[in-house]
Amino acid sequence: MHRQALTEDTFYLNLGPQHPSTHGVLRLLLRLDGERIVECQPILGYSHRGHEHMAQNRTYLQFMPNPCRMDYLSGLMYNHAYCLALERACGLEVPARAEHLRVICAELNRISSHLLWFGAYLMDLGAFTPFLYAFDDREDILAILGLATGSRLTYSYCRFGGVRDDVGQDFLEGVRAFIPKMRARLKDYDTLVTRNVIFVNRTRGVGVISADLARAYALTGPCLRASGVGFDIRKAEPYGLYPELAFDIPVRAGGDCLDRYLVRLMEIEQSLSIIEQAIERLPGGPVKARGVPQFIAPPAGIYHTSYETARGHLGIFLASDGGRVPQRLKFRVPSFSNLGILPVLLPDTLVADTIAILGSMDVVMPEIDR
Amino acid sequence: MVEARQEGPPVSLAVLSQVLDAVRANSLWPLTFGLACCAIEMMAAGAARFDLDRFGAGVFRPSPRQSDVMIVAGTISRKMAATVVTLYDQMPAPKWVIAMGNCAIGGGPFTYPGQYAIVNGADKILPVDIYVPGCPPRPEALIQGMLELQDRLTQGGRTNLLRRFARYPGRAGSGGQP
Amino acid sequence: MTAQACERLSRRLGQRLGAAALVEADYPRQGYHLRLELNPGHLRELAAMMAQEGCYLEYITAVDRGGHLDLAYVFGRHQAPCRVLALAAVPKGQGVLSIAGVFPAADWQEREVFDMLGQRFIGHPNLKRILLPEDADFHPLLRDFQAGPELGGDEMEL
Ligand code: SF4
Repeated sequence: MHRQALTEDTFYLNLGPQHPSTHGVLRLLLRLDGERIVECQPILGYSHRGHEHMAQNRTYLQFMPNPCRMDYLSGLMYNHAYCLALERACGLEVPARAEHLRVICAELNRISSHLLWFGAYLMDLGAFTPFLYAFDDREDILAILGLATGSRLTYSYCRFGGVRDDVGQDFLEGVRAFIPKMRARLKDYDTLVTRNVIFVNRTRGVGVISADLARAYALTGPCLRASGVGFDIRKAEPYGLYPELAFDIPVRAGGDCLDRYLVRLMEIEQSLSIIEQAIERLPGGPVKARGVPQFIAPPAGIYHTSYETARGHLGIFLASDGGRVPQRLKFRVPSFSNLGILPVLLPDTLVADTIAILGSMDVVMPEIDR
Repeated sequence: MVEARQEGPPVSLAVLSQVLDAVRANSLWPLTFGLACCAIEMMAAGAARFDLDRFGAGVFRPSPRQSDVMIVAGTISRKMAATVVTLYDQMPAPKWVIAMGNCAIGGGPFTYPGQYAIVNGADKILPVDIYVPGCPPRPEALIQGMLELQDRLTQGGRTNLLRRFARYPGRAGSGGQP
Repeated sequence: MTAQACERLSRRLGQRLGAAALVEADYPRQGYHLRLELNPGHLRELAAMMAQEGCYLEYITAVDRGGHLDLAYVFGRHQAPCRVLALAAVPKGQGVLSIAGVFPAADWQEREVFDMLGQRFIGHPNLKRILLPEDADFHPLLRDFQAGPELGGDEMEL
């Protein structure tokens, strides 16, 4: 950080690593001129746990519990992506029923992630009630997912070549009942928040990211789609069941915090319709492929897998030498790239807007730090 | 008189401290402080369904200066360790620490030969009072941890005069004594 | 699929960098359309070209292959997906030119590669550790890295 041009009004503010609105342990070193931010330097790594180092020291199956602990809000999607990466590399087939269950669970997970973001973001902006609403709905999802996966947050539901267990009738009924309930709740959210004048004033026109800037910084996910670029891996490079499902990619053109909020709410609607379709056509049959070896070993080479998590484009880079242990397993995590834009986005905004902007990016720190 | 003081504090003070303990136990203010995945379950414990507030422990304070309990929810990385200790030092006494989740107990899934990034458990750097196992622990587990801490403060639930429920149903009046 | 989505890009890359180095990958299995092996000296030229073609930098990473690092640059495209994996073998200890001037996203990506594997990027605006503490003296993802007892996690000096 350059310390030139210090005036009487210049001072430094350390936001984090313990700050209620940094969603974990991000530290922002801000240089201020009065209330105006002159420079922002994010300092990461307070949650670095060495996932990638662990990957190089254990077999693929042993690494299974790790991905869902990177972005614990998209845990199931990370788990799905990891299985997808190895299934592609090893050429494993997944039975149709398992593909359906994966998509249903992944989309439920996406909704729960967006709900948590919704609650936490509004709490950052000073509204406490939506937090309680969102967590109430989120608990419904966790209960349903619990029936299938047995856990609430860190799911290792997908296995190489399928899913761990078939679901029961209670799961299917739970999902069917949840969809209309959530649709009604979205209307409540709309009346409660979307047209709330305080909320709109704090978010409209704040933290505007242009489409070009978003591309240059490799933003993905809702942050990119709020800037007018309709890019979603589920459409661009569809995986699993997605090519067979009808859904839209919500896009907004404004690029401000309000648009990022709206994109996420619209995504919840789309996810609901995806779940609806998938559960309608859920076929019978096995949920696990037969003959998956206990120690899978992809042929030597370099593989890449893309996946759309709740935060954007997750890329899994796998370098294998043909052995049971990866040579390199790198996760291109969406929050890392999304956060990279802060040093250019924050200057010239007010300190009070920092939280509104940072919150609207929806970052998960342990995912960034890995 | 000097000898009398050596025998312990006067009776009236003991009663006072019992009252204070009961008051403290029923208004534990945790520090808003999440490190990783477990923090989400900590939030869930404070939110609508589980409502930690029922037990007086739902007032999450963002500032260490206002809080009594540090819930170490998540993995302590080596980079973060010094900050965690600073936060603990900033809390006014009396203060307690709950290690929530396997990471805070002993490094959890991240302990293995060759690990370079984390501290193997909060008790390496802080005096931990209550351990809540799980990866992540369910919110109910955290609530149980809170109740354990309350019982510890009041030397068993029986003297917790402000508590309006029996911790072990079916044994009304048994308080915290199993 | 590869042929249509990437034809033009593949042709341009072939013209500029020599067709021999460019291989069409098995997309359904490998997840990228084109694979390119190039001399590290050409990285910046490649980056400029990819920027011209409207691609974005997905990520940079590296694989420790013993004597050298395989730097991997992955570029994607928003319209008509075409992913390009560019590999550059760099002897350990040798720097390569930074592409942060072309792709701002490379700034943090390069810092991460430096942090984890010790690769130096010449001309990077702020090449310092990003995830590990600034005073760390090791690069954990190198094959010969061994966590010593001081990092074993049991004793913690504060
Ligand atoms: S104990 Fe498990 S859930 Fe909790 S922080 Fe550690 S890895 Fe995450």
